[in-house]
Amino acid sequence: MLQDKAEKNPEIIGFACSYCTFKASEMAGSLRMKYPDGVKLVQVPCSSRVDPAFVIKAIFEGADGVFVAGCHPGDCHFIKGNYFTRRKIAALKEMFDAFSMNDKLRLFWVSAAEARRFVEKVTGMYNEIKERKNVRKEN
Amino acid sequence: MLGKKIKNGSIEDTLNRFLKDDQHLILGFEKGENGVSLRAFKNHLDHYSLLNPIFSTNGALHLRRLFSKGTKIILMLRPCEIRAYIELIKLNQIEREDIIAVSIDCLGAVSSKDKTDDIPTEADQLREYFKKTDTIRWACNVCRERRGVVGDAGIRIDRDGLFWAFSYTEKGDSFLSLIEGESEESKTEMLMSGSEKQDQFQIDMKTFSKDFSKCIMCMNCRDMCPVCYCIDCVFNGDEYLPKGDALLNKILRSGPVQLPQGKELFHFIRMYHVSQTCVGCGACEEACPQGIPLTKYFKGTSERLQSMFSYMSGRSFDEPIPYVTFLEDELKDAED
Repeated sequence: MLQDKAEKNPEIIGFACSYCTFKASEMAGSLRMKYPDGVKLVQVPCSSRVDPAFVIKAIFEGADGVFVAGCHPGDCHFIKGNYFTRRKIAALKEMFDAFSMNDKLRLFWVSAAEARRFVEKVTGMYNEIKERKNVRKEN
Repeated sequence: MLGKKIKNGSIEDTLNRFLKDDQHLILGFEKGENGVSLRAFKNHLDHYSLLNPIFSTNGALHLRRLFSKGTKIILMLRPCEIRAYIELIKLNQIEREDIIAVSIDCLGAVSSKDKTDDIPTEADQLREYFKKTDTIRWACNVCRERRGVVGDAGIRIDRDGLFWAFSYTEKGDSFLSLIEGESEESKTEMLMSGSEKQDQFQIDMKTFSKDFSKCIMCMNCRDMCPVCYCIDCVFNGDEYLPKGDALLNKILRSGPVQLPQGKELFHFIRMYHVSQTCVGCGACEEACPQGIPLTKYFKGTSERLQSMFSYMSGRSFDEPIPYVTFLEDELKDAED
């Protein structure tokens, strides 16, 4: 029973920029907001540090979903890092689209003050993936 | 367009005159007993062939990390090879200063794996040959740019079977000045026209897994790819494809794996990494010992991803590669 429950819970890997999204997740923690256990955050110095190879590796090694999160465009600590992220991840999404698995990757912009938005986004993604996963299991 | 007509045999004379200097080289094709192959010529041209109907490797592969140190080089290669050369310049792998890149109209090629001994090397005969048989490579059949319109200069064939040289840059002008005769307006239409647009690439993971299940992870496709240029590839270390003890640890930690591991991972990541620079030459498929239809995937995804940024690999020297540049106001719908 316990194992069955664990199987139905998706695993989500999140790459979070240490200047905004990761700070937002810390703030969510200190405000005692809850987000699903299945979400595992990886802290990166800037969202443009995420080589799409990391995302592909996470998915091929069993993650049910991956998100890349960084500062809003224009607010990057390194001035223009997230503009590159936007191009790279948009292209990666297009590629996932070509392989008919576009539901696995998300890109979020979350600033350090938006703890609530972070929790909403992550929970929303988690629930969507969980729903889809369980439907597939039942068939 | 203003160009120079090339009389019979005059291209050989021109190149021979250029080669008189000891510090001058030409990279071009040579007719041999066993078909046509790539050759670096020094001092004199022997058995020179303008066209190469056999594709084995992409010539730009040999230009990587080339810093000519005063040696002047003329490249007389296919459009796909010149396009790969242009991409490598953008990636700072080649010093452009002393190299003149001349692309030659390509009539298509057959795979070097196929029977190649009865293939003609003259333009008109070659055209007839490809009309009669269907041995042309798939990559050449769906090629995006078979015209010699890339690089510094181009050699085009017109409908009457005459060869023309055109210049596209200042260096192209210096190449044209080597050819005897006056520039004139070309009135006849060119033989090759632009290719029609292909359908957008779409496939599912099941077909992908099936096609790549034959892969033996020899990584020949990576080694023969002209634009896969990293000295330290991510797949060389233990991080992506653990070996030995690292592999053992991974299996103990996260469960059984199929061996050789990471077939899909490897090709998927490589497909992304070359997505903006891939010229669709099909050198990877040529190098694959298992006959996996690599071109279909690499060309398909790269064309789809390049069209996002209205980019075409190797089209011009000035267009930056999309991943190293950006516009502030674009891709509004990228965020979820």
